[in-house]
Amino acid sequence: MRSSLANAVESVLFVAEKPVSRAELARVVGATPKHVDNALAELATSYQGTALRLAHDGDDWQLVTAPEHAVHVAAYLGADRLRVSPASLETLAIVAYRQPVTRAEVEAIRGVNCDQTIYTLMQRRLIEERGRREAPGRPILYGTTWEFLECFGLSSLDELPRALTPEGAIPGVGEPVGDRRA
Amino acid sequence: MLGPEGPHVTVEGFDGPLDLLLELVEEKKLDILTVKLGDLADAYLARVRALDALPADEVSAFLALASRLVLLKARSLLPSLLPLAEMDEGESEEELRARLLEYAVVRERATALGDRLRSGERGFHREGGTPELPPRGGEVLALAAAWTKVLALASRPREEGMVAPGERYSVEERTAEIEAIIAAREQVTFTELLSTDPTLGWAVVTFIALLDLYRRGVIDLEQIELFADILIRRKQTA
Repeated sequence: MRSSLANAVESVLFVAEKPVSRAELARVVGATPKHVDNALAELATSYQGTALRLAHDGDDWQLVTAPEHAVHVAAYLGADRLRVSPASLETLAIVAYRQPVTRAEVEAIRGVNCDQTIYTLMQRRLIEERGRREAPGRPILYGTTWEFLECFGLSSLDELPRALTPEGAIPGVGEPVGDRRA
Repeated sequence: MLGPEGPHVTVEGFDGPLDLLLELVEEKKLDILTVKLGDLADAYLARVRALDALPADEVSAFLALASRLVLLKARSLLPSLLPLAEMDEGESEEELRARLLEYAVVRERATALGDRLRSGERGFHREGGTPELPPRGGEVLALAAAWTKVLALASRPREEGMVAPGERYSVEERTAEIEAIIAAREQVTFTELLSTDPTLGWAVVTFIALLDLYRRGVIDLEQIELFADILIRRKQTA
């Protein structure tokens, strides 16, 4: 049996078409944020083996369908499959794993101009602006969006695929990125 | 800034100089951690030579890395060059290797993301579930005032109908006018300059004229708070 608080949280998330923040959830169900955390954890566990997933981006929560059933939902919605070029995927990978990042940092890693790929990813709403870095020139910072999590079937950024080479395993890799172009 | 149709160039499937270098390492089944990068200079140059159809700035990125590789190779062949290394501000072999490793990680992750995308296993959220309600705490009077404003805007004659082409103002004319006003009055507000019933074109021309005057150091601009009237003052000459 799930707690009544978990059910209360679920009912709110069920009708919400936009992500709901932890604070907002706490306010509407009349519980402390800590209790909401517990209720969310309880819900997430109870969805195992069902068609729903509890997804979150930072403190914002939303109910989404399980990736396994994407083909059926897509058929119902008439949704097209998203296509992203290899170049854009590289830029997206850097933004996803290191967000928030500036364009210069992405370019330093890829070694090529990234205006185009960032523009494309913004157009598809896979990345968005996340304020500015308090550094000379106040460059724009980029981060991933809810659309990104959904399109890649991730419940949160913690589920990003862990590649074979973990960051920090090799000296000099994964350390803070400077402008190292020669 | 590039538009949506901006050029994106990949060279025989290589997306940038690091990508090409990494491809060479993998083709030759070399260990990225131990390979002498200078040894790849010849193979790299051979590939770059085939790139002459590319725009200059694209090629230059490839050439910059090629020159780096050639230098690394020269150093390994002629150890006497080593003292010069201290004067060289370019990146060392270790730095280049670190960049390459970092790039390799990114490419691996990009591939993993791409696989995920291709599998089509994605999530969907509920669409259109919450009705859009007006924000809470709105005031009836504020709404009425906003509505009156909308009505006033709607009843205003269209600009096209009001200004014959011959009457359009140029920025130069407007600049001269404002300069005359400022010379006579020392200060004036933006609202005064716009007069009672400005058309859009009039407001734009006035605004640009002000920017130009400010750029030339003729006037000072001041705005006490957000959305307050802008104060235009004659610049005090020291």
